[in-house]
Amino acid sequence: MKGLRKFILKKILWFFITLIVAVFLNFILPRLMPSDPVATITSKMAEGLTDTAAVQRIYEHYQKEFGTDKPIMVQFFIYVKNLLHGDMGTSFSQYPRSVASILSSAIGWTIALQLPAILVGWFLGNFFGAVAAYKRKGWDKIFMPISIFISNIPAFGFAVIMLVVFAVKLKIAPTSGGYAYDMIPNFSWKFIKSVLYHYQLPFWTIVITTIGGQAIGMRSMSIYELNADYVKYSRFLGIKDRKVVKYVFRNAMLPQITGLALSMATMIGGNLVAEMIFSYPGIGSQIYAGITTSDYPLISGSTLIITIMVLIMTTLLDLICGIIDPRVKAAQFDS
Amino acid sequence: MGKVMIEVKDLKTKYVTRNHEDVYAVDGVSFKIEEGKSLGVAGESGCGKSTLALSVMGYYFAPLHYMSGDIIIDGKSISGMDPDEVRKHVLGTEIAYIPQAAMNALNPTQKVINFLYDVVHAHHPKMPKKDIREMAEKRFEELALPKDVLDRYSVELSGGMKQRTVIAVSTILSPKVLIADEPSSALDVTSQKLVIKMMRELMEKGYIKSMMFITHELPLLYNVTDDIMVMYAGQIVEKGTAKELVFDPTHPYSHALMGSILVPEEGTRGKKLPALPGTPPNLKHPPAGCRFAARCPYATQECKFYQVPVKEFGEGRMYRCLKGIDELKEAYSHE
Amino acid sequence: MKNTIRQLFHSPNFVVGFVIFVGMLLAIFLYPIFHPGSPLEMIGVGTFAKPGLYISVYDSVNSETETLRLPDADEKRSGAVLSDEDRVAMIEWFGKAGVDTTNLDASDDAAVLELWKANYDPDKTIKGLTKAKRAYYRRLNEALANNGEAELYVATKDADSGELVEKSEIDKDAYVNTKDVANVKRLVLGTDNFGRDMLKELLAAAKTSLMIGLIAGSIATMIGLILGLISGYVGGIVDDIILFVMNIFTVIPSFVILILISYSLGQSQRGAGVVAMIIGFTSWVWTARSVRSQVISLRNRDHVNLSKLSGHSLLRIIFTDILPYILSYVVMAFILQISSGILAEAQLSMLGLGPKTTEVPTLGLMMSWAQLYSAHMNGSWWAYFPVIFTIALISFSLNLMNTGMDQVFNPALRD
Repeated sequence: MKGLRKFILKKILWFFITLIVAVFLNFILPRLMPSDPVATITSKMAEGLTDTAAVQRIYEHYQKEFGTDKPIMVQFFIYVKNLLHGDMGTSFSQYPRSVASILSSAIGWTIALQLPAILVGWFLGNFFGAVAAYKRKGWDKIFMPISIFISNIPAFGFAVIMLVVFAVKLKIAPTSGGYAYDMIPNFSWKFIKSVLYHYQLPFWTIVITTIGGQAIGMRSMSIYELNADYVKYSRFLGIKDRKVVKYVFRNAMLPQITGLALSMATMIGGNLVAEMIFSYPGIGSQIYAGITTSDYPLISGSTLIITIMVLIMTTLLDLICGIIDPRVKAAQFDS
Repeated sequence: MGKVMIEVKDLKTKYVTRNHEDVYAVDGVSFKIEEGKSLGVAGESGCGKSTLALSVMGYYFAPLHYMSGDIIIDGKSISGMDPDEVRKHVLGTEIAYIPQAAMNALNPTQKVINFLYDVVHAHHPKMPKKDIREMAEKRFEELALPKDVLDRYSVELSGGMKQRTVIAVSTILSPKVLIADEPSSALDVTSQKLVIKMMRELMEKGYIKSMMFITHELPLLYNVTDDIMVMYAGQIVEKGTAKELVFDPTHPYSHALMGSILVPEEGTRGKKLPALPGTPPNLKHPPAGCRFAARCPYATQECKFYQVPVKEFGEGRMYRCLKGIDELKEAYSHE
Repeated sequence: MKNTIRQLFHSPNFVVGFVIFVGMLLAIFLYPIFHPGSPLEMIGVGTFAKPGLYISVYDSVNSETETLRLPDADEKRSGAVLSDEDRVAMIEWFGKAGVDTTNLDASDDAAVLELWKANYDPDKTIKGLTKAKRAYYRRLNEALANNGEAELYVATKDADSGELVEKSEIDKDAYVNTKDVANVKRLVLGTDNFGRDMLKELLAAAKTSLMIGLIAGSIATMIGLILGLISGYVGGIVDDIILFVMNIFTVIPSFVILILISYSLGQSQRGAGVVAMIIGFTSWVWTARSVRSQVISLRNRDHVNLSKLSGHSLLRIIFTDILPYILSYVVMAFILQISSGILAEAQLSMLGLGPKTTEVPTLGLMMSWAQLYSAHMNGSWWAYFPVIFTIALISFSLNLMNTGMDQVFNPALRD
């Protein structure tokens, strides 16, 4: 038990270290660029303006907003201090809303969409991969090439295909949004129904694009485990095949949790672009809005939120894995 | 003469490769082991020892297939039995197996006791877990294994401990025949000694009634087993007591094999060890005549084409060679 | 080496992937030779011309005709004229005019036309129709009435008087051979929103995207290889530091870093090469990780120890005793990096952070344009579907090759 506590503490410590690095990167990257972000923003905002005094005023406004007139370390502390108060600045494009309030409504949509979709995709992928490994002939020959091909369609591409087929052609799903555009979010049954109706397409898009990759991983993992020595040994002790297969799939599935943790970052990134295709009111659409309207605070806030989200998910999965997989436990607890 | 625990008559099995080629790995093997006796199987790697061990279990799964012959355990033939009957009533209870790579024989994500529950339940589905634990604790104690091993995962055990745990698990249901495939090869000398001691105890305490011990380490065979048979290319080439085979080998292959043992006696220092050139033949297309002919220093043209008869002599000894005993002895004396 | 390659070509996965990939390369490099010209040239003035064979109307009028009497020609003519828009408008009119449409099958052109002819009267005033709408229906009616019935003439303008002079009547049974028409253009994949030839643009985009993948993959593999080698072989504090950095960049999405860097750079500075470099610099973590673990398992092998005891230099040990053993993994990682580089570019472009749009097309930019101009909403499937398919096909072929290599190099995974 002492080992377990140490393990958890280590993971939590690691979480905070990474968090600090992530916040720092989010702060420093734009400032490291050869171009002055304030100048860039000013030139974008001041497009068409000929009055140099006005341009100068805009420049000074943003310089103050970002505090770029102060030394970089001071800027960082101000940035962190503001973050701790939940202050991510004010959005340019949706003035006077604060970035924090925009993102706090968007994050709910993103989590509610991506978390269940990734988990369902992960489970289905593992199931299909295991079946493919166990059945091999026939099933394997048809299923594997299909899933390899599907897993190579990027999430946004699949989103477009789903949108065209189900929303534009078959008209059984809406083309955009998270709920009917004439509604105001509330907890009525009608609103929930509309949300579920809009949920379908993005959800299945993410599920299907997740399945392929997971199935391929699970298949090779299972084949590897099926050839393991304990399989032969258990069979020779008279244990039923069904039970042996259970051992195999349990052992093959546990590393898939680590795999999920490792690929979480890439997956969420891809899914955000898919969100944007469906104009789903999540972070993906906010990033896109931020980029198209040159809303720098919104972009910066979104990327920070995504990073924190990925970080939390990864840490949780790592913890789960360490607790339920004795192999990881043995490797982790000793060190 | 004691009661015959296992008798194998003209057993033939084959491997079917991925390219649907047949490899005749065990080709007409016969032997019997009496109660309280142990039989050693010697031979180079790749001559079919391990396949013989698997074939004797009477339970076949791809790529190994049964062709013909009979396996009789304690007077009861298991060759014609339904595979599921064999699994339930023979494996583990009548005949048990210790695999070559015992290091990985235990499921890494299962506690030893849970695996024991599965093993016992495969044969006695109604037995309460409490009784199984009691039985296991008693047996572990008698075999000088720490009881707390039961509540550990295999990844937490050392190599030697893993091997001894595997032996204890294999024999938990007191089988009549134990097939041990190189149980000590991968261990350090101390652990090796413990393993051998444990096998002896099992026999002395009557937890197993007979044993087949496979190894390429000849001195070990001489020390552990009563009888030895020498295997080459899927066939038995010579059989006799341990003493006879080590000090008075008849077949040229046994002679070469035994010649490679260093006996600590006068004149050992400076004695050149004879090396046997070549490798065993490919069993996809076994040679028509004597399988050893290509490597045999005494082979003549006839050896390559004539079927080689099994010749019996002395007290239950046999060898498989065209040449007479005197002829061979004469040849050996010139070395 | 030769044997490994032979083995690779015995793996069906690898062969299929290889054939697809080489096929694509051939198409990319051969097509521009036979069809020269800039892929960004806007040949169409409108947006999204359908795929098909385009024949110059002017040239076909001036071409020699042949008379063919085809029995279903009239039928086809009337069917072709009723667009979805017209159909909806007609049904709307029926509703306003109180025509009974209960037995009407709206998808049956002939039935709709018949009902229209029977009921429409340009002089009848129907309530609730604006003046513009009434004019629209009149025009629609004329167009329908003239269709297949009105006689068409070719007229030329007299140079002196400026009057139109009849030159010839267009016979309904007159046909021209496309070979006689001077200007015929086949647009296999139609045009995009800018009126560019989609096929030509797609192949050029695939080439740029592959280049981006190649550059990004090379950079990522080089960085990953060097860091992995140092970290794995040197060990100690150096390993701790590199591992720390690797762990951090595994959980901080490279996607996020990409967005931040790309946005800060500004569009004017983002050429395709720059985007490729940014992608390369943010995606080395996976390679570094796998190289490191491979090197650690190699570090204490006998042949490496022997080399160390023989006093060989660090570089020599790495080049002769370590690199050859991990080469297959590095090649495999490189292949995957190429495909993830292509994907990363596409995602960035979708978000509007791709390479600047004026120089070269990329697969991501094409997707992004199709999305901006709502190609998927207005039924212009040729503007996005071939692009998605190309992206999928490139990464499919690369992944297949990778799987094939994996099976050859890791016998445990073989069937």
